Amino acid sequence: MMLIHCPYCEEKRPEIEFAYAGEAHIHRPVKDADDMTDEEWSHFMFLRDNKRGDHAERWWHANGCNMFFNAVRNTVTDKFLVTYKMGELPPKASASNAKLPAAKKTGGAK
Amino acid sequence: MLFNQAIEIDESLNDDVMRLSLSGERVRYSLRLKPADVAAAKKSSGLKLPAKIGGTSIAAGQTILCLGPQEWLIVALPKSREKLAGTMAKLSADYICSAVEVSHRNLQFTVTGPGAARALNAACPLDLSVDAFPVGKGTRTIFEGAPIVLWRTAEHEFTVEVWRSFAPYLRDFLAKTAKDRHMA
Repeated sequence: MMLIHCPYCEEKRPEIEFAYAGEAHIHRPVKDADDMTDEEWSHFMFLRDNKRGDHAERWWHANGCNMFFNAVRNTVTDKFLVTYKMGELPPKASASNAKLPAAKKTGGAK
Repeated sequence: MLFNQAIEIDESLNDDVMRLSLSGERVRYSLRLKPADVAAAKKSSGLKLPAKIGGTSIAAGQTILCLGPQEWLIVALPKSREKLAGTMAKLSADYICSAVEVSHRNLQFTVTGPGAARALNAACPLDLSVDAFPVGKGTRTIFEGAPIVLWRTAEHEFTVEVWRSFAPYLRDFLAKTAKDRHMA
C-alpha cells in the first residue's frame, strides 16, 4: 500500500483515501469563453501534457480532510516527490528534488 | 420521540476479543467557519473546537472532532439538543458560516476489546497502533467502501460514526472477518 503525505493533515495517509484530480497549475483563461475560439477553449479544456517523468498534479483527500492539494509524482516510478498546499507553487529544485517541473500558464491565445 | 435506529447486532459480535455496540441517539452538527472567525466564534459559542486536523475534544456528553481545515463534527447527547440548536443559530446569525444539523445522517458504534484495532484494520487502512493513532485522535477515513469517522477513546476502545445506510454493511463486514481476529 502506498502512503501519501497530505499537506493539510500533515501526515502520511493510505493511498485508498485519495483520488487523482488531473494535472495541476492549469490556469483558467481570463477571457470570457464566448469571446474565445473553439480551438483556444479546447486547449484549456482538454489538452494536457501527459508527461513521462515528474508531473505536477492535483490530488483530493476525499476520505480524510476533504481538501485538494498538489503533488509532484513521477509517472514512471509512481513515486511522490513532494506534496504542497493549493495555491502554492511547486518547491524550487533542490539537491533532494533535482528536477521539479516549473508552474506553467496555459489558456488564452496560443 | 427518539429516532428508530433499526439495527440489530448479533451475539457473534460480542466476545472477549471484540465487542460491537450501537450507541443511542445522538445530536450531530457539521460546522464550517471562515479562518478569520474561528477564534471569535470559539469564544462566543463556548464550543471547544480543536484547532488541529485530527484533534478531538471529548467531554461528557459532547465530542467535537476537527475533520478538515475549519471543519468540525459535533456529536452530543440528545439532552443537549435544544442548547446546541441555540448555539448554532447564534453562530449562523453572527458569522458567515455553515452550521448544519446532520443528526440522522449517521449511526454511532463503539468497538471495544483487545482486538478492536485489529477488527477495524480488516477494513480500515490506517495504522491504528497506539503510537500512530493515540487516544484522543479522530479522523474521517474509509471502512472498505464506506466513509467513516473514527476516534479513539481508550487504548482498546474506538468510536465509529457511519452513514446510516452503510451501518448494516459495517456490522456484517465485522461479522464476516471475525475468524481473522481469532487467529494470531
